Formats: sequence, structure tokens, C-alpha cells
Amino acid sequence: MIETIPASRCPQCELTVAPPAPYCPYHPVAMVPTTVAGVGEVVTFTTLYAPPEGFRSPLHIALVELEGGARFVCHGAEVRGLKVGARVAVEAIDNIYYFSSLSALDRARLFWRRAGRAGDRLHAMTRSLAKRLWKGGGGATA
Amino acid sequence: MRTVWIAGAGMTRIGRRPEPLQALMAEAAHAALAMAGHPEPDAIVVAAMNPEEFVGDGNFASNVASYMGFAEVPAVRIETATSSGAAAFYAGFAQVAAGLARTVLVVGGEKMTHLPTPRVSELIGRSIDPYERSYGATMPALAGLVTRALMARHGVTERELAQVSVKNHAHGARNPFAHFQHPVTLEEVLESRVVADPLRLLHCCPISDGAAAVVLTAERGPVRVAGVGQGTDTLALRHRRRLTSFRATQAAARAAFAMAGFGPERVDFAEVHDAFAPFELIALEDLGLVPPGKAGRATLDGETALDGRLPVNPSGGLKARGHPLAATGIAQIVECVWQLTGRAQGRQLQGRVALAHSIGGLATNNWVTLLEAA
Repeated sequence: MIETIPASRCPQCELTVAPPAPYCPYHPVAMVPTTVAGVGEVVTFTTLYAPPEGFRSPLHIALVELEGGARFVCHGAEVRGLKVGARVAVEAIDNIYYFSSLSALDRARLFWRRAGRAGDRLHAMTRSLAKRLWKGGGGATA
Repeated sequence: MRTVWIAGAGMTRIGRRPEPLQALMAEAAHAALAMAGHPEPDAIVVAAMNPEEFVGDGNFASNVASYMGFAEVPAVRIETATSSGAAAFYAGFAQVAAGLARTVLVVGGEKMTHLPTPRVSELIGRSIDPYERSYGATMPALAGLVTRALMARHGVTERELAQVSVKNHAHGARNPFAHFQHPVTLEEVLESRVVADPLRLLHCCPISDGAAAVVLTAERGPVRVAGVGQGTDTLALRHRRRLTSFRATQAAARAAFAMAGFGPERVDFAEVHDAFAPFELIALEDLGLVPPGKAGRATLDGETALDGRLPVNPSGGLKARGHPLAATGIAQIVECVWQLTGRAQGRQLQGRVALAHSIGGLATNNWVTLLEAA
């Protein structure tokens, strides 16, 4: 299940922030409420080995650029093998957001939702599958 | 606008200090006033980031002024988180430049080493966006996020990062006012414990006590304030488009160079805000002192060492001189004044133009100050 995350958008510069803010940080205008999908790309991440009080070590923190443009701070259970640029899902557990690797089902749902007509969806899924297969092959010889 | 001069500059030894904060600030102020020939200041600007929490005292402008014998001199306190010292310098500069005062004493200090490290981290961390803090973000955590992006997107290497600390410790070893006066090796940095992956302990500045002060005046003095610039950015890191350069530094540099009427090519040496080693690399490029993408290489090649083309952090920087928060922005200027007036024993540079760069918070409120020998 792809999470829907509350956000807000600046009517002047289109900056989207999550969680929503009353004013755009760059413009003194009221932001418009919106939502973004809990899926995106890892911009950067870190692990704290002496986290502040109330957090358990090691604490994984990531900055994820969600689809729709908002950059989002979240926790993660694991960062082994994680790379900047990786696609991840972001979901809330007890009101705390965590990132995790996208399951195949999640990827399929994403394409389903993103593409407009049924034909487009099928086309997008086929393309994605072909790309992944090709990438896998390319990786082996690179 | 009147020309503003620095008549005196003084500071305490940085490190673990038993004296109360007021005493440290008085020591620095009286040293600066002594170098200036003991003028009576018309006004005092005090910088202290968080004395309410660190030492339990408030109303700190009056507190410090009264303590050091200037109860009848008008005093204010200025705060922009970790760049409070540089901001106070600007406030003093503005008073003299506007003709509102002829002589202004600017003094900044902080006392933190008597508190446990987690408590200090938590207090400094209050300058971070509250939502990001609710996810456990501390200053090192945000710096870790910046560092990872710098390495992944710009190919900055672990050796380049480590060399910043090695160089600044080597400089600190020649500064009797520095918190750390011992060198460290590349291996020691690379093997020090991970604090906020990929940041290691020896990439991070220490927790320090200390104070620094300057005397600004409209009378011709040994050092001229050529330019001062402020730059700002969003409180939240997640609201920024770029992590590997700081808009606040770029804007501050633009403003300072515009006021000075010259560019980065005139700068002979610099004191920059290396609270975390990668911040020095970012600063060199944001300030225009090194071409984009070249700061790591320049550091490894020794260009920023004391005997290099452009010495950076001759004092040892925040890493080795130490980082008593609100003292730091002024301590950088003190080092520049000492260098420009031949007072930097053991690490004396030849140069006429100096740049000081101070970061407030996670680069939300930064300052660039340009100084020129008269």
C-alpha cells in the first residue's frame, strides 16, 4: 500500500513541503494544502551511533525526495546496501515515517496509479520490466 | 557610510576553562581594549548564543557590561545561533559606519564544557528545525546528511575530508590560544569513531569554553573593515534544493565583496567555519576562493596549508582552535587582525586581505567579513 502524505504547495514558486506548513519558507504567502505519495528517491542518509535521548542506536535518518517534489525526513530500519538515488517507499508506523525498499507489488501499483489509461499502464509496466531486465544484463558485463 | 577600523583584538585561550563566562568575556574585552590603547567605548555589543541554558544567566548584555566595569555604557546582545559573534561584529560595525557611535566594543563568548556532552548537543540542536529534531536530527546528523550527499554527488573522498582535519590540527599546534595544540594523522582521522555516518569524530569540532573581542572605531586604525555580508536560508534542511553548497554563504560572500568593491582573488588568507570538515570544502567553493569541485584536491595538494597559496584557518579553525559558539565569529576576526598586524606568533602569514566566514545553525544565517591591513 502506498502511503498518502499530507503536504502543502506554494502558489507562487510551486515548492511543495511535507509535512504541510502555513507559509512558504521563500514567500510570505499562505501555502495550499495537498498530498504527496509516500514513494521517492533517497537524496541522502546518515546513521547516528550516539543519538539524542529517546532514540535507539543506531538511528538511521534519510532525506527522501517524494514524488511531487517534497523532500521528506524519515527513519529507516536498515541502510545496508542503501545508495543515494535508491527508490524507496515511505510509510507511517505509529505516526513516525519510515523508508523501506519498494516491493514488486508496490512498483506495480505505482505504475497503475501514475499511468492514465489502461493501455498506458500496460505499456509503462512492460517498459519498466524491459528496462530492469536490460539493466540487470548490463550490470553483469559492466 | 563612514570607514570603520579595528583598533584592538583580543581573546582568551580556548578550551576547558574554570572561570565563569562573564570573566572569560571580560578577559577578552580588556585584551582588545589594551591593544586599542584603552579607549572608553560608546557602546557594547555582546554575543552569547544561549547563556540562559549553558550557564543559567540571562539579561546578558547588562550582565557582561556590569561585570567588566562598563555598567554605564549602553549594551545590547545579538544572537544568530553559532554565528552570533559575526552578527555582533556587524551590529557594532553598523553603529560606527552610521555615525551613531565612534568606538564600539564587540565581545562574544560561550561556556559549555561543564555540561555533559549529550546535554550540550541537545542545547545546540535547538537551533534545528523542530520537525527534523523530532526525528532525532542533531547538528552532526544534518552535517552527516550533507557529507553523504557531497561524497555521492561530487565525488569528495574520505582522504580529502580527513586532510581538512589534519591541516587544521597542524595549524592549531602552532597557536597557543587553540583548544587542541597537537597534530593528528590522516590514519587517526580515518580510524576515529563514526559519529554520523560518514562523519567521524575527528571531522567534528570540539565543545569549548572561551571568549573573543574587538574594538571598532571611526578613527584610523591598523585594520580596515572592507566589507560585511549576511546570507540566510531555510531553517529546515528538507526545504532546500541543494545540500552540497550553502546559499547563506554564497549570499553573504556576494554582499561582502560588493561592499568591499573587490573579488575573492584579492583574499590572501581565510578563517572559515569548519565545525565539520566537509563544511570547509563547501565554504571554499561557495566563497569563490577555489573553483567548483576543486576544494578537496586543493586541500590534499596543500594549497590551503600555512605555506600554501591560500592559507585557510591559520588559527586551527573550529576543529583545533575550538568552537565556543558565540565567541567563534569574533575569534576568527581576532586571528585575521593578529595576522594582518604581525601578532600571530609561530604561524605568521604575509598578507593584506583576510576573509572570515561564520555559519549560524545549519547554514541558516551566515556571515562573511573582509578585512584589509591599513
